[in-house]
Amino acid sequence: MNGKGHDNAGAGAPARGDYVLEARDLARRFKVGSSFLATPQVVRAVDGVSLSVRRGETLAIVGESGCGKSTLARLLLRLLRPSSGQVLYDGTDISDLPEREMRRLRKDLQFIFQDPFSSLNPRMTVGAIVEEPMRVHGIGTRASRPQQVADLLRRVGLRAEYANRYPHEFSGGQRQRIGIARALACGPRVLIGDEPVSALDVSIQAQVINLLEELKAEFDLTLVLIAHDLAVIRHMSDRVAVMYLGEIVEQGETDTLYDAPLHPYTQALMRAIPIPSPRSRKVDSGLTGDVPSPLAPPPGCRFHTRCPLASGICKVERPPLATVAHDRMVACHHWEEARAGIPSAAETPAHSHAAERRFALYREHSLAGTAAASDRTP
Amino acid sequence: MPSDETGRAGSPGEPLLTLDGLSIRFKGAQANVVDGVSLSVNPGETLCIVGESGCGKSVTALSLMGLLPVPPAEILSGRAMFEGRDLLGLTRRELGEIRGDRVSMIFQEPMTSLNPVYTVGDQIAEIVLRHRRIGKREARARALEMLRRVKVPAPEKRLDDYPHQLSGGMRQRVMIAMALANDPQLLIADEPTTALDVTIQAQILDLIRTLQDESGTALILITHDLGVVAEIADTVAVMYAGRVVEQGSVTSVFDDPQHPYTIGLMSSVPSLGKRTGSLATVPGMVPTVDTMPDGCRFAPRCPFASEACRREAPPLRRVDASQAPGHRVACVHAPLETTFGGVAA
Repeated sequence: MNGKGHDNAGAGAPARGDYVLEARDLARRFKVGSSFLATPQVVRAVDGVSLSVRRGETLAIVGESGCGKSTLARLLLRLLRPSSGQVLYDGTDISDLPEREMRRLRKDLQFIFQDPFSSLNPRMTVGAIVEEPMRVHGIGTRASRPQQVADLLRRVGLRAEYANRYPHEFSGGQRQRIGIARALACGPRVLIGDEPVSALDVSIQAQVINLLEELKAEFDLTLVLIAHDLAVIRHMSDRVAVMYLGEIVEQGETDTLYDAPLHPYTQALMRAIPIPSPRSRKVDSGLTGDVPSPLAPPPGCRFHTRCPLASGICKVERPPLATVAHDRMVACHHWEEARAGIPSAAETPAHSHAAERRFALYREHSLAGTAAASDRTP
Repeated sequence: MPSDETGRAGSPGEPLLTLDGLSIRFKGAQANVVDGVSLSVNPGETLCIVGESGCGKSVTALSLMGLLPVPPAEILSGRAMFEGRDLLGLTRRELGEIRGDRVSMIFQEPMTSLNPVYTVGDQIAEIVLRHRRIGKREARARALEMLRRVKVPAPEKRLDDYPHQLSGGMRQRVMIAMALANDPQLLIADEPTTALDVTIQAQILDLIRTLQDESGTALILITHDLGVVAEIADTVAVMYAGRVVEQGSVTSVFDDPQHPYTIGLMSSVPSLGKRTGSLATVPGMVPTVDTMPDGCRFAPRCPFASEACRREAPPLRRVDASQAPGHRVACVHAPLETTFGGVAA
């Protein structure tokens, strides 16, 4: 492990694996309502999160609005400073690094924003937007950079001539590609995407998902995805962390977590997703009520106010995020009971035979079409 | 308008709303933003209009409610027959009488459709008072009853709350309470759950279904989410670039999808099940009104497009006699396997 020498004493347990990013007991509090006569209140947006991102993996952080996932993403890249706890990049604690040293690391850690409309400077040309990180980090020369920009634009599926145009001339999907090209410009090692595809239409979303996966393989990236769409996450990620009200409630490898979610909240999330097939199960609105305000999270387990399995202990004692199986953590007093409640996987096929056949036909023909198109444009 | 246009097989009686040949163009545009759309919905049933941004689904809905700004929009043709009257030909006053009473609408973002300076109770009562000859006290009682029906907790207390005091899910419940306060025959909902978290979305879908069973209100739900469609629709209309490209019962459209766009859309949605390779995509992007192609508007993105597709707009037609009644597709190549051969699935 390269960063081992920087490890804080006692923190590096054996067999930690090769971690790029680590959060240790990370917390971020915001003061709100501190204006005019009001006593300021404290939002615990992220409250004691520990998380490791392995080199080369795609880790997804999932949760509903207000769960703290976007704050966590910004903490991991030190776009926000933590109130307490540490962020380690390659084993080095970056939570207190001076801005000057941090700037060098920014080259390695890049961010893709959700909203492709507000994250690009409308007064800069696309070329200048993509070139800026290279200029800042001293990559290439003034003469060589336009060519590099052109290559990047082509790589993300845009035309090189677009470099002279402005962001407003592009659709949401194209702008997201511009944002991705910019994020790649300085040769990052870790990309964090905050809902990178959720503002896009379905057909465009699929294009951008495929693009991100190709780029990840090609540039050897580690990907951290912040998302709320469980289907997108299952498709893209190797491991998943589920957040609720500032805490991680469950974590594990994607397939095992989806096949047998152990936390009652994860289970409820899964059952609430409408499946795009009328022959599948109906959504289950098993969860009553709203997410409590992060200003006044419930004591004990924060989920107990909505949890079907909640008992006395849940109201007073906060369950720790405990390892319950290999690479599997859950924070619930009753996870064994929850596990017993998982229905046996007797899945009805989501699609009819006729539908599957047409999907296959579509795929075959669209692949043939893409191959032909790329032959034409060298 | 053929009566098999919609319907769960065997649904009796006349459609509640029949939209026929609606075309809308914005001033100065090169093409119609809605082009010859025909739809119908039966009493008590749910029609989902599904499509991506710019497909004309919201414009269609707004025109039904008389909410389209004219100009810049211009309704070039079409009739929307509802209870013996053409909604598109009503005066402003006549529309005002129908809206909120016989037909109501809910929108994606409840915060922008609720008035921030009136309490929830007053806003529901107002809509009742506008259309019923009853006293204020009765109207308030009705507001309370509606809050109870949409399962707002502690409704007596919530009656005097202002919209900003409610969560997004609660606001959408209040919107639904307002929309249903006068027992409308038809509810039009434009992306009513899109801004909500999934667990809240599940609650709202559940609520809409329950209320619909109780009241027999027909629903036109506009969405981009195929999951929501499968969940709630009786019939589906898939729109692309201002036209209906496929329509039919929810089972026939999902189990026997015919239009390449429908097929492409369905196969580009990641599934909640185990991953099976990279996603299929619909290449390129939706044409703008100024770059609208001649012929089939999907042709430039369609892997099956031929010369004929680019020449002439294909009509909505039944594919063959064995097909579910009401299932129609606007594609000359449907069913695809007869022209392009089968692939072992």
